[in-house]
Amino acid sequence: MQTTSRTSRKYLATPIFGVLMGVVYLVALSVAGSPVYGVLAFGVMVAFSAALLLARRRSETVRGLLDHRDERISAIDLRATAITALAMIAVVLVAFVVQIARGQSGWPYSMLGFVGGVSYVAAVIYLRIRG
Amino acid sequence: MRNDVRERRVAKGLSQADLAHRLDVSRQTINSIETDRYTPSLPLAIAIARFFGTCVEEIFHADHE
Repeated sequence: MQTTSRTSRKYLATPIFGVLMGVVYLVALSVAGSPVYGVLAFGVMVAFSAALLLARRRSETVRGLLDHRDERISAIDLRATAITALAMIAVVLVAFVVQIARGQSGWPYSMLGFVGGVSYVAAVIYLRIRG
Repeated sequence: MRNDVRERRVAKGLSQADLAHRLDVSRQTINSIETDRYTPSLPLAIAIARFFGTCVEEIFHADHE
């Protein structure tokens, strides 16, 4: 059973990650000479994080997705992530095939496919060993 | 998997939200278990059985039984 303080930290992880990514976008776009777009991107990420925290108060599903206390919502999260990964794999494969059919190298889709494949095999090995 | 969670909860005069709070899960999960749309993990099944003061096989029934 988790303590309240541990749970509070856990549900803040995704919103904090969102804000941190906003800072990264701000810095990256500022370095690229587009500080206005950087501020916009930062604002979008802050708004997204704030929306998550507000939705958490009204929705059991959002609450469960953020704090992972409910096993059924965690299972839904896992399956939704797997479906998302399948969609990404399909996009990468189609884009790779279109590129090589045009006589191009397939970059960066070949690398994305390679990283995906290696990650899957590594995850299977790790999870099998862990039991 | 069929179960007697709803009957036992109602007999105790608890709402789905009350039971969810006691078991530290969402109300949706209690509803899904009661309507046989979700089979709980073994730890949650044991927690449910302990809450009602009985054993898992008295509450959850395999379909072939």
